[in-house]
Amino acid sequence: MSANRWGFPDLGLGVGLRSTHFAHILSERPEVGFFEVLTENYLDTEGLPLYVLDQVAERYPVIMHGVSLSIGSIDPLDFSYLAKVKALAARTKARWISDHLCWTGVLGRNTHDLLPIPYTEETLRHVTERIRVVQDALERPLVLENASTYLEFVPSQMSEWEFIARMAEEADCGLLLDVNNVYVSAFNHGFDAEAYVDAIPGERVCHIHVAGHTHKGTHILDTHSDHVVDPVWALYGRALRRIGLRSTLLEWDADIPPFEVMHAEVLKAKAWRDREAARAA
Amino acid sequence: MRRDPNLRTTAFPLDVVERWMQAVIVHPGDVQEALASEEVSREMPSVRLEDLVKPSGTLTAQERIGIYHEMYLLRMEEALATDYPVTKYLLGEEAFWALVKDYLQRYPSRSYTLNRLRDHLPQFYLDEPERAGAAFLHDLTSAELALAQAYEEAESPVLAAEAVLSVPAAAWPQARLVPVASLRLLALRHPVLRHMEACRLGLPCPKPKRGGSWLAVWRRDYTVYRRELSRTEHRLLQLLAGGLPLGQALAEVAASLNGSDGPKRIHAWFRAFVAEGLFSRIEMQGS
Repeated sequence: MSANRWGFPDLGLGVGLRSTHFAHILSERPEVGFFEVLTENYLDTEGLPLYVLDQVAERYPVIMHGVSLSIGSIDPLDFSYLAKVKALAARTKARWISDHLCWTGVLGRNTHDLLPIPYTEETLRHVTERIRVVQDALERPLVLENASTYLEFVPSQMSEWEFIARMAEEADCGLLLDVNNVYVSAFNHGFDAEAYVDAIPGERVCHIHVAGHTHKGTHILDTHSDHVVDPVWALYGRALRRIGLRSTLLEWDADIPPFEVMHAEVLKAKAWRDREAARAA
Repeated sequence: MRRDPNLRTTAFPLDVVERWMQAVIVHPGDVQEALASEEVSREMPSVRLEDLVKPSGTLTAQERIGIYHEMYLLRMEEALATDYPVTKYLLGEEAFWALVKDYLQRYPSRSYTLNRLRDHLPQFYLDEPERAGAAFLHDLTSAELALAQAYEEAESPVLAAEAVLSVPAAAWPQARLVPVASLRLLALRHPVLRHMEACRLGLPCPKPKRGGSWLAVWRRDYTVYRRELSRTEHRLLQLLAGGLPLGQALAEVAASLNGSDGPKRIHAWFRAFVAEGLFSRIEMQGS
């Protein structure tokens, strides 16, 4: 079992903080390792969501997970946005701040999608430099997730996993390993998901996502709308064997079930974690 | 836009790839129309799609970029439907989808949060008065936007009735009532609450009709409320919330009322405003 590079704790099993579950969480105080919050939902609001977040942060560890950093974009970084992210992290005592390896828009627009980047030396230099700037602004490591992708660029000069490994090393940033996204992208692009997991630098992985998806036959969409399938659990187990125990989050963002159903789903990870802990002991 | 010269080291520099891909994704036509459009072609002239995007074992390059193109509109439609459920209910799926496509052409998202996408829909109907039902839909979307804004506002402490009663009459000329942060006042040309109620109950929407309608929207204890006011009641609340001293606001509205029950009606309105928690504190001018 290996620790991550920054000594971030293993917080156990967590779920996303969803508005449909606010009342349940405040009244029942479920036993959850941590809550992951979608950063942008809490930056410009002073209403109920922020009130609930304040209550949750008093009782549970919080991890921030953003979708608009757009680290791969050619647009300039938004420093007023980064200041708000930093302020929210201080307010919630967020254990770490994460976002995605992607871009979301250029020319001042936001498509609100996690768009793919070509894996070239040029992109690697660009992204690495921006990560360093963001980490300076946030005064803490940035943790970046591998997004599901639906196309590949001809000009790419390396595999996604090689890009991510080099990016993490050269920018000295953390990684959020989303094993569902590895599975989805592996199907969509025809690569070996296990080889991907095996290539990720384990000491840089700060936490792991599992999630459901929607299989369309010709491709898989990362919809976060269902239970986790067995092959994704198997990838999760492989990741644990390689890198050790890490905080693990279930993403379920669409067709959201009652809290108990979501909670039960993430608790399935416990068997994999227990197996890994026993093996390592 | 400044270009980083270091980005121009490949046949497809990153800035070109991103501008091209965004142009495809946000194009209002289908993906084939997008790829053939002037806006997309000028980003990468004389380049074949397959020179940039690989096909997979199961999808063509066009189908693969088409996934992103389709997801963009789906995501935007979902966000706007969340903030404008009554508008969608009234228009129906197809017309709401068409509205979203047109709206995005004029007001694409430029924020890190999807919550801001809703901000300009009432203005959109003012921009395009020739759209069917524009005048009514401007009013309906204004009301729905006010509800969304009230939800996001800071919670304000509520002024207790006793605090208001403790202001002596002699001090009314200096007393200003500060409204709660979430209060929104609307003066509309069409009643819309009936449509909101029909949507909530899943009933057919009544036909829009013209007629003055005055609304107050506010939040208390994290619950958003809305109420229809009379024209004069709205005027009184508007004067008070706008910062006019209490005595002056009451006098101005009283002067506009006919009949001997004017003071009684004003008193009842004022008590209702306080009981509903529309004010946060009293400020004394000159203190």
